[in-house]
Amino acid sequence: MTASSTMSKASAACWSCGAATSGAHFCAKCGKIQPLPKGTDYFAFFGLPQKLRVDSADLEKRFHSLSWKLHPDNFVRTSENERELSLARSSELNDAFRALSTPLGRVEYLLAHNRMRKEGQKKQQAPPELLEEVFELNESLDELREARQAGGDAASTAKVRMKLQAAEKNFTERLEEVDAQLDSISAEWDAVIDADNNEATRKALMDRMNEILNRRSYIRNLVNKVAAELAA
Amino acid sequence: MGRTVGIDLGTTYSLVAYVDKETKQPKCIPGPYGSALCPSVVSLDADGSIIVGEPARRRLLTQPERTIYSVKRLMGRGPADVAGELKIFPFRIDPGSESVIRVRLGDRVFTPPEISAFILRELKSWAEQYFGETVDKAVITVPAYFNDAQRQATKDAGRLAGLEVLRLVNEPTAAALAYGLHEAQRGLVAVYDFGGGTFDISVLKLISTDQGDIYQVLSTSGDTHLGGDDIDNELQRVAREEMRAQFGVDLSADPSAVQELRKALIAAKHELSQAKEITIRFPLSDGRIYTRIMKRQEFERLIAPVVERTMGPVKQALADAHMAPNRMEEVVLVGGSTRVPLVRQVVEEYFGRKPHAELNPDEVVALGAAVQANILETGVAGMLLLDVTPLSLGIETMGGVVAKIIPRNSTIPASAQEMFTTGVDKQTGIDIHVLQGERELAKDCRSLARFQLKVPPGPAGLARVEVKFLIDASGILQVAARDLRSGLQNAIEVQPSYGLGDTEIEKMLEESIEYAEQDFAERQRIEAVTEAETILRATEKTLAHPEVEIDTTERRAIEAAKAALQEAIAGRDYKLIRARVDELNSVTTPLAERIMNHALATALEGKNLDNE
Repeated sequence: MTASSTMSKASAACWSCGAATSGAHFCAKCGKIQPLPKGTDYFAFFGLPQKLRVDSADLEKRFHSLSWKLHPDNFVRTSENERELSLARSSELNDAFRALSTPLGRVEYLLAHNRMRKEGQKKQQAPPELLEEVFELNESLDELREARQAGGDAASTAKVRMKLQAAEKNFTERLEEVDAQLDSISAEWDAVIDADNNEATRKALMDRMNEILNRRSYIRNLVNKVAAELAA
Repeated sequence: MGRTVGIDLGTTYSLVAYVDKETKQPKCIPGPYGSALCPSVVSLDADGSIIVGEPARRRLLTQPERTIYSVKRLMGRGPADVAGELKIFPFRIDPGSESVIRVRLGDRVFTPPEISAFILRELKSWAEQYFGETVDKAVITVPAYFNDAQRQATKDAGRLAGLEVLRLVNEPTAAALAYGLHEAQRGLVAVYDFGGGTFDISVLKLISTDQGDIYQVLSTSGDTHLGGDDIDNELQRVAREEMRAQFGVDLSADPSAVQELRKALIAAKHELSQAKEITIRFPLSDGRIYTRIMKRQEFERLIAPVVERTMGPVKQALADAHMAPNRMEEVVLVGGSTRVPLVRQVVEEYFGRKPHAELNPDEVVALGAAVQANILETGVAGMLLLDVTPLSLGIETMGGVVAKIIPRNSTIPASAQEMFTTGVDKQTGIDIHVLQGERELAKDCRSLARFQLKVPPGPAGLARVEVKFLIDASGILQVAARDLRSGLQNAIEVQPSYGLGDTEIEKMLEESIEYAEQDFAERQRIEAVTEAETILRATEKTLAHPEVEIDTTERRAIEAAKAALQEAIAGRDYKLIRARVDELNSVTTPLAERIMNHALATALEGKNLDNE
């Protein structure tokens, strides 16, 4: 396996028996639950490589199997230390499952974990190729609000509503395009992990993912805004 | 070590249940009146003693100003929250109430957790009587939509009652556990839980795995102030309006009459679940009688808005689970209000399938709590519950905006880490405001707690404090902070926005534990004395038996054991009384056997004579 897990890097001694541990959930020697190493990688938590295309049934199975072992229910009658470790481990398990259970969540997590997620000023800025459409959309939104403020009824706003509905549909399609882009870059990423796992290549891919995410959140906000305005 | 029980601390009724070790089935424990339902009513007697349950409910009519019901509505809430309730409920809130409400009963004031603790202590004693053993641990159920403060208040109540609360379990989830055990369901299940004061809806997925069954909650929603109480209030509004119009009578000034009316209307509501038409008859204090015929149709028209209010959360929960109503493979009804035919009809129409209601809707939550208690007591027994947090957790940021850090419907335990730093030079503290809710602005969310992170003074941005927010398996928030530069744990004192502080609880606890121990010992003593008196009377009778021979040694031994027991009774130690009862029992056994044989022989002789 080429995808290095940060978990296996962390080595420490078992708090209970002193045997060497490698970041596993339980001590191999005495079986006691172990504290979380700093900066645990969610993929490694499930024993998975850092790959973005995940078989969701398999992930769920791993989640359930770990839940049986780590859940605080198992530790009610143990020492306070073990109860706390179980709480930390099982909350991490649930956080990890929540983060990794969708394709988008996995990309977001990957970037956050590698400190490659940069939202910055770009958040408010329209991607250049969308500028014209966004301008038009904002005009329609203003028009609808004005019509409403002037006491306009459904009939008088029907035209602008239709325009907005068309825009909503258009941007929803754009969102689907972005998701398709995410899917294909995820495949690219996995191929790199399987091949040479070159750091420069990985970094370049993550930069591109970051851009796609920024574009996605921009479009997502637009869709939400239009939907909210139409529902108002 | 004592036993663990499951408790449903309800708005109207509370129940205690356990899992029978032999049958492996959960069972509710009956109280002294034979019913497993303990009315959630508490009354303060003139001599200062506390009365709980059925006798307290009767006092609602005779001593309303010393009696309280539906206290669950006040749990974890501040005075401002309950202003609306006060118009409808006869709660006497002490004017001195600040973050925690204080309720007046007669000449004393109590916090809602203290009142709930009286109910819990009553149930604890039911279970102790039943087992003849101490009970010191419990799983208590709460509405799934309870927020952190309401959960914390429930946990405090448990502590005050001398119970270690091993877990708070959401009511609909508990019901699903009981149903799952009942008929091994699989797949997607919606639990519609409409109780006396709260409404919950949960969507669950039941999964079989190699290790056993997992009950995974996908989403939950609800309204912690929507229940059968609202139906009663609707009926009451109509009746009082009509009394005013018809007789010019206003009941407001007469709390006893209001309670009488409430009782009559609840009875009417229950009848309307069976009958198509009923007559309400209510005598006024001046002898005139308010008579009113009500058809089920009219009743349904009156309560339709209340029932309709449940549908908002239902739709929300399904949307959050990304499910259409027809995807549900089972729909389960829980809570007394689901007995109302209109409720059943609305649920059936929405989901397009007949809902399950085989298990007693009053008991099913307590039964589920017992199942979870058993899991915790014996180790995971092939069943695992994965529940969710009902509300998003957030922290206040610039401009009063809330940054969500743990989204609603996250599986619990769940956690989030946030980094904080200073904004100006020489700043020595960072203020943190934790909130719960879905709204954008802090002022529209529920404030959970405020605290300050202490940092050494330095240039702005130098301090780095990592705060870990963790929601435990009971849905209660824990906060821990660590100074990343020093690596030291940062001491934080969380001041709950609506709740009791630790010192306050400690104080109440000291008092309540004393009471609880006294109560338990006193009950044990009374029982032991009763038993001792019975055996003493029996011994007198045997010693006086005219026909059976008793030699001096035996007579002396018995007399000595008798005297020892009498001495123990005077000494009030129930354990000693029990021991002496056993001793007396053993020395009188041979004599009792002889008397028995004698009686038998006489009877046989008699029989022989008859046969001749």
